[in-house]
Amino acid sequence: MTREQTIVAVFVFATEVITTVVGQLLLKHAMEGSTTLGFAHPRILKLFGTGVLALAISFFLTIGLLQHFDLSFFYPIQGSTVVIITIAAAIFLREKLSLQLVIGSLLISAGIVVVSLS
Amino acid sequence: MDRGPRLFPNPWLLLVFEALFVTASETLLKVGASRTERVAGWEWTGLLSLASIWIWCAIALVILSFLCWINVLKYIPLSIAFPLSNVVHVLVPLSCWIFLAEHISPRRWCGIAVVILGLAVVAKPVAKIEEKL
Repeated sequence: MTREQTIVAVFVFATEVITTVVGQLLLKHAMEGSTTLGFAHPRILKLFGTGVLALAISFFLTIGLLQHFDLSFFYPIQGSTVVIITIAAAIFLREKLSLQLVIGSLLISAGIVVVSLS
Repeated sequence: MDRGPRLFPNPWLLLVFEALFVTASETLLKVGASRTERVAGWEWTGLLSLASIWIWCAIALVILSFLCWINVLKYIPLSIAFPLSNVVHVLVPLSCWIFLAEHISPRRWCGIAVVILGLAVVAKPVAKIEEKL
């Protein structure tokens, strides 16, 4: 793989992870808001639509990455989204984070890495 | 934590259904994909698999799992729901093992065990909260 291809690959990987995290955060924010404002509220629809768009982008980037890399190489990076989403939810959605939750998420991520390496 | 409606749709039950639908859809996608004939130049698009009834069932299950997921998000914090939704990394290999007779290496079984341990660690405080209510 040339240097340029590596840079592109890293960029696509990063974008895939970021769109997954942002998409889930937006969906969560929208659905939580929908319990008080109602789902048809313009603000909720906008959040929901952007969230679905972000997840759609991550979905197609995943397929693109799968065409270039082995699943076993690519999967561990997806496993890392568990920890990233847990921490992002604490920062951006002000969800309470316990030590137990962080340890549990780390274990799940580690398990996914082991599963994909074998 | 807002627990939402008491009976159906209970958000925790929906989370279980979401995981089961994802597992079923992944398994059916594999069945559908492996039964699709390979035509040179087209195989990478995956579009030819649309001729398989299994693929359509899988698509329906993906939609169902998404509907469950967004309703889970109404009531369960993302930092709990998302780690727990990763139970699919246990269920999908099990489903492949049981229904598709795929081989699972010892190291993979170890990985599955670590994921289960992580899920248990995340779920334990949740169970305590639910007990108090």
